[in-house]
Amino acid sequence: MDRYQLGFKYVLGLLFVVLTSLAHAGESDVTWSQLSEDQQKVLSPLAAEWDSLRPWQREKMLDIARDYPKMNPQKQERVKNRLSNWSRMTPYERENARKKHQRFKDLPEDQKQALRDKWRKYQSLPEAERAKLRAESPDTYGEPASE
Amino acid sequence: MSRYKDNMTHEKNDNLSTDDIVLDTMVEQQIARHMTDLLNDSAQRLMPHQEQRLTLAHDAAVRYLAEKQAQLQYSNTHTSQGNVVRWFGDHFGQQHRMTSAALVILVMLVTFFAVQQFEVSNNLENSDAFLLASDLPPEAYADKGFDAWIDTN
Repeated sequence: MDRYQLGFKYVLGLLFVVLTSLAHAGESDVTWSQLSEDQQKVLSPLAAEWDSLRPWQREKMLDIARDYPKMNPQKQERVKNRLSNWSRMTPYERENARKKHQRFKDLPEDQKQALRDKWRKYQSLPEAERAKLRAESPDTYGEPASE
Repeated sequence: MSRYKDNMTHEKNDNLSTDDIVLDTMVEQQIARHMTDLLNDSAQRLMPHQEQRLTLAHDAAVRYLAEKQAQLQYSNTHTSQGNVVRWFGDHFGQQHRMTSAALVILVMLVTFFAVQQFEVSNNLENSDAFLLASDLPPEAYADKGFDAWIDTN
């Protein structure tokens, strides 16, 4: 191997390291105080617990803050109201929710409306009855999935 | 002989037709033959130490040539460096190492940005933000009691 080949491989290795670093630059371990003003505004329901979140949880939340401005005011309000509950769900529950949301998106509009109506009726059931239903239901997706 | 060659060179510069080039080649061959004859004649009267030096030089030249050929063969057999560039012809082949390096870096950069672009679009479709903004709250998707209740109603 001559000197040129050695140098060439060194440059390639360096380039690979730089690109890998750039690719993972978005993975964040930022504290609450390091967030931008806009990010803090969106993620304000999580202010108290932000610094205790795991890095990958923060990354997911930052993705939400990134997409937040693309939504209309009604959806933005929904996101803010649901964010706190979302952060308290287990990774397993969140993964289930993602899968079912994907299926929900693919449903025809009449079936979506039917499901919304059913959710309202289900919410009107006494909490004890809903808890019983949950306790009697087997896990749909098997082992918890990691995020 | 030198004057003869100078004359031929002068003539070659004046007008280079096909006949001139053929004639020039023939003259070159004649000169070479003449030089060989002179060397052969002189070789008959070499001193032993001169013969030894010539033998050593000959062996060194042969060894150098053999090494060069072996290196070339190894390069062609075991590495493909520059092969891609040869598709583009001899012009690029002149600096094939630099061009190869530039091509490899270009491919790496294009791949990197393509992957980045794919991740961004993929994240857009699967972002949790859109789940949170959905018509149904996340609890509706995660509540296994709701699934069971739907099945019985």
